[in-house]
Amino acid sequence: MINTESNNGQPRLQAVDLSKRYEDGVLALDSINFSVYPGQVFAMLGGNGAGKTTAINLFLNLIEPTSGEALIQGISSHREPLKAKANVAFVSENVMLYPNFTAMQNLEFFVRLGGKTECGTDELRAVLRRVGLPDEVHHKRLKGYSKGMRQKCGIAIAILKDAPAILLDEPTSGLDPKAGFDFIRLLESLRDEGKAILMSTHDIFRAREVADVVAIMNNGRIIMQENASALAGKDLEQVYMQYMAGHDLEVAV
Amino acid sequence: MLGTLIQKELRAIILSPKFTATFAVCSVLLLLSVFIGIREYKQTVAQHETAVHLADQRIQEISSWHGMRDKTYRKPDPLQILVSGLTYDIGRWSSIDSRSTVKLTNSAFSDDPIFAVFRFVDFAFIVQIVFSLFAILFTFDAVNGERENGTLRLVFSNAVPRAKYIIGKCIGSWLGLVVPICIPIVLSLLMINLFAVPMTTGDWGRVALLVALSLLYVTLFVVMGVFVSSLTKRSSVSFLLSLVVWVLLVLVIPRGGVLAAGQLASVPRLAEIEGLRDGHAKNLWSQYHKEMEERFLARYDAGEERDDDDMWAEMKFEDSARKDVQIQIEAYEARLMEDWDRRKATQQRLALTLSRFSPAAAYQLAAQTLAGTDLSLKSRNEEAMRTYRKEFNQYVDKSQAEGGNVGGIQISIGGEEGMKITSSRDNAGLDIDDRPRYTPPQQQLAAVIQPAVTDFGLLAFGTILLFAGAFVSFLRYDLR
Repeated sequence: MINTESNNGQPRLQAVDLSKRYEDGVLALDSINFSVYPGQVFAMLGGNGAGKTTAINLFLNLIEPTSGEALIQGISSHREPLKAKANVAFVSENVMLYPNFTAMQNLEFFVRLGGKTECGTDELRAVLRRVGLPDEVHHKRLKGYSKGMRQKCGIAIAILKDAPAILLDEPTSGLDPKAGFDFIRLLESLRDEGKAILMSTHDIFRAREVADVVAIMNNGRIIMQENASALAGKDLEQVYMQYMAGHDLEVAV
Repeated sequence: MLGTLIQKELRAIILSPKFTATFAVCSVLLLLSVFIGIREYKQTVAQHETAVHLADQRIQEISSWHGMRDKTYRKPDPLQILVSGLTYDIGRWSSIDSRSTVKLTNSAFSDDPIFAVFRFVDFAFIVQIVFSLFAILFTFDAVNGERENGTLRLVFSNAVPRAKYIIGKCIGSWLGLVVPICIPIVLSLLMINLFAVPMTTGDWGRVALLVALSLLYVTLFVVMGVFVSSLTKRSSVSFLLSLVVWVLLVLVIPRGGVLAAGQLASVPRLAEIEGLRDGHAKNLWSQYHKEMEERFLARYDAGEERDDDDMWAEMKFEDSARKDVQIQIEAYEARLMEDWDRRKATQQRLALTLSRFSPAAAYQLAAQTLAGTDLSLKSRNEEAMRTYRKEFNQYVDKSQAEGGNVGGIQISIGGEEGMKITSSRDNAGLDIDDRPRYTPPQQQLAAVIQPAVTDFGLLAFGTILLFAGAFVSFLRYDLR
């Protein structure tokens, strides 16, 4: 395991021996450990069924861990879910939001749900502009939005929550190159603000572009975890394929 | 938090096309049904007034106490505009005289059977069928729809307690349905006022209770929809499941209850009762005729001399014996009917008890009770008519005894005048101004509340039970 604790401060997101076995007996997570620090983007790479989304669901307390803890700001998301979730924002793969609401109405609802009681229209508009949504679409219903626009709206919700940690589940899936590029720039700016970002993705190139730490997952285990600096000059795709091949071999043996 | 969730739910419903569709359908259906109901009521009132007036004229024209008879008419109730119930099914009038018993005959449907085929779509029907269906359409995907959209995950990435979410869902969905329902209801009530339907304070009180009952019924289906939605992961499954439950609760159980009661507690048909009565009457009359014949033959064989007094005494005896037979027949019929009524009541109670497993049946029964168009409509009116019949017959007997005009024709043969036939019709009309008048039964507000309490309670209990189900189910719901 690579030491990633070169960052300052306490970890904002931490998986401690986190395991999850579903009712059907499938072991989705097998005692994983990682930490995400302020100003750090932690990318979980892996194929379908690797356990990335399960890990995020455990942080959000959408499922209960079989053993171990998912900690947000040191608070167990399982034991004190409401307190823990007040410190995290989430952007999902397919940000559907409410299709009959406008972007402003969606933001208004989720901001209030996130605990902000006072948030003016100007602030909402400013955030929508920041994520790249022009003024003329702010009052359009979301059912007329493209996937990229909805994704931006989801990011705006996460920004407005102003939580110290952000969870992103396949955020660039299905985005066109321009939207993907914009999204990565946005993530960088959030990292620069000191947010701890945990991102699950299939997208090796985007992960390489933005991640400070890359973890490769397979069959519920973290099979590789490296700092971005350690991966500098390496072909991440090749590393990924090697690790996956090696692990598959190991499993087969 | 709860306010935010409710507001969101309400806004989501208001902005959805189903809100517009529901509002349009509810408005058109309710306003049209009340308008037709008001017209129908006014026609019925006009018919009733004309019939009462004609009956009054007829009774004035009767010239002998012997032929004195009246007709009583069931008075229309303004609440039949909203809940027609059995109004058009049961008879509208009954003859009142000493010979026939009180029985309401000639229903509105017997005049116009086409209306029995396509029955009136009244407020109660719209609530019972249409609103309950809308409630399900509003809520079948309340929880799993959000799961499918991915918004459930996003909502619960925030510090949202599950309990508050499900309460917010129920209240928000309820408000979303109640708004498009309540606006046309208020407009309908204004229409009733505008068309000057004679409504008393008690009637308005009954209307208020009817609206409260309807909202409670709709609430039950809203909560049921949320419950089913929180049981399943896919909205297509919950839609199908909700529809099946709706069909069972609204269409199958009420009818099934009545059919089951018919099998469990059998009651002889009225034709059988009439057969028994006629058989018994035939035996008694045969016996009577035989006795009279034997008596006549005994006198004839004895060769007794008989003067007028003897003849009168004999006629009086025969008349008295005939009356005794008549009394025996009536007593036997009364016993048969009492037994039939008792068995019928048992069957009816069983049918109602079984049907009440359906909220639709509980609603229908309570609505009809509040409107006074329930099963007791017939017995209530017939009871009032029986009371009147008793008073009327007493009055006729008393007047007849005092005036001596028994009617019929009188034939006299005299030496100078020859044969002379006189009739009571030759006499002037009878003075009947002091006769008793029929008073239709009045229903007080308190009197209708008591029998409706059970159904109110059942609907409230069902709602609480379903809410508890939705609550517990959602606490265990897979939010992923």
